[in-house]
Amino acid sequence: MLSADEAADLIEAIASRQDRAAFANLFRHFAPRVKAFIMRGGTDAEAAQEVSQEALIMVWRKAASFDRSRASAATWIYTIARNKRIDLLRRRARPIDTEDWLVVYAPEEEDAGKSVLAGQTYTRVKELLEGLPKDQLVVIQKAFFEDKTHTVIADEMKLPLGTVKSRIRLALRRLRQALENDES
Amino acid sequence: MSRHPAPEELLLDYAAGALSDGPALALALHVALDPASRQTVDQLNAVGGALIEGEPEALLDDAALERALARVGKVMVEPRAVPAARRPGFEWAPPPLVPHLRPGMGWRRILGQFDEIRLDVPGDAYRVSLLRLESGRCLPEHRHTGYEYTVCLQGGYTDATGSYSVGDFAVGPGGERHEPIADPGEPCIALIVVEKPIVLTGPWGRWLNPLVSRGVI
Repeated sequence: MLSADEAADLIEAIASRQDRAAFANLFRHFAPRVKAFIMRGGTDAEAAQEVSQEALIMVWRKAASFDRSRASAATWIYTIARNKRIDLLRRRARPIDTEDWLVVYAPEEEDAGKSVLAGQTYTRVKELLEGLPKDQLVVIQKAFFEDKTHTVIADEMKLPLGTVKSRIRLALRRLRQALENDES
Repeated sequence: MSRHPAPEELLLDYAAGALSDGPALALALHVALDPASRQTVDQLNAVGGALIEGEPEALLDDAALERALARVGKVMVEPRAVPAARRPGFEWAPPPLVPHLRPGMGWRRILGQFDEIRLDVPGDAYRVSLLRLESGRCLPEHRHTGYEYTVCLQGGYTDATGSYSVGDFAVGPGGERHEPIADPGEPCIALIVVEKPIVLTGPWGRWLNPLVSRGVI
């Protein structure tokens, strides 16, 4: 297991001294997990492996842009893997600009405050997810695992669009309340 | 916090990476301008992170690690990225829009009423445009068969659903007729992403629709 702090240290070691041993450690932890995550949506092992490999190479390239006060390593790696999934599995001609996640964590912006999530270990968010009612959790998981919009999810689950929307909003409200309580 | 944030289900679609490029650009601009929506996306990204962390420990393919190490041996760690600089003449454009502004791009007057810059965004299901509307001018009355996403980038506008200012997000469901009017002050500039096709419903609509569907206007 790798703690959130250890993972952040590894990324910073890559940024400051191109530390290959740190990269190997990070890769050992995250590459199989990213691959498993991508496979949940029905992607075959080979393609999932490619997404995972390319995501971790991107982690190396962009290590200097990682800001541990804004996001945990797992969260940052998720955003990179998500973009790689779009690039590789939708076979896009033009890869997604790195701006996509730089904007989310833009250093010039002070207003949103430092993210409460940076200090969160994954266990806290995981715990919160597990506490969600099943019908809400399923919708959230489908979005992330299967890369589907809420409209497609409603279609597939044969649910009215309004039902899916309210499940998403309820889930987010619970998540937000819990995270904000943690902070105060 | 804007008066009209993007609906949360769209923020989830965005954070999950499920949106097509046109709508994703609209969300990226809104999120860049709206701290509350950005925080929600941060939280959703953390859910993504937690789902990855929650994957069971699996056997690593040693060959994969060897290949990755060989690759990073040849790849430089890039310097810390800074958000794209504002482009002269496009100071109102938030960073995620800047890569879409190509040299030589300029406003084109449409129907004598408003200016447009058509953006080249992959995927042909959406028409992605920047629209500029002088104070007091309105867009031709139109109707959508599909979704429409609007993000206000400068000035403001008002339609039957309310008043929108910088950072505000509007999502129009299909079939709704509306006629936005630019508020007093500097011209209103907005990104508009429209699921095709678009149908004009005003008195000239039936003459102009063939041109709309051919992409002339």
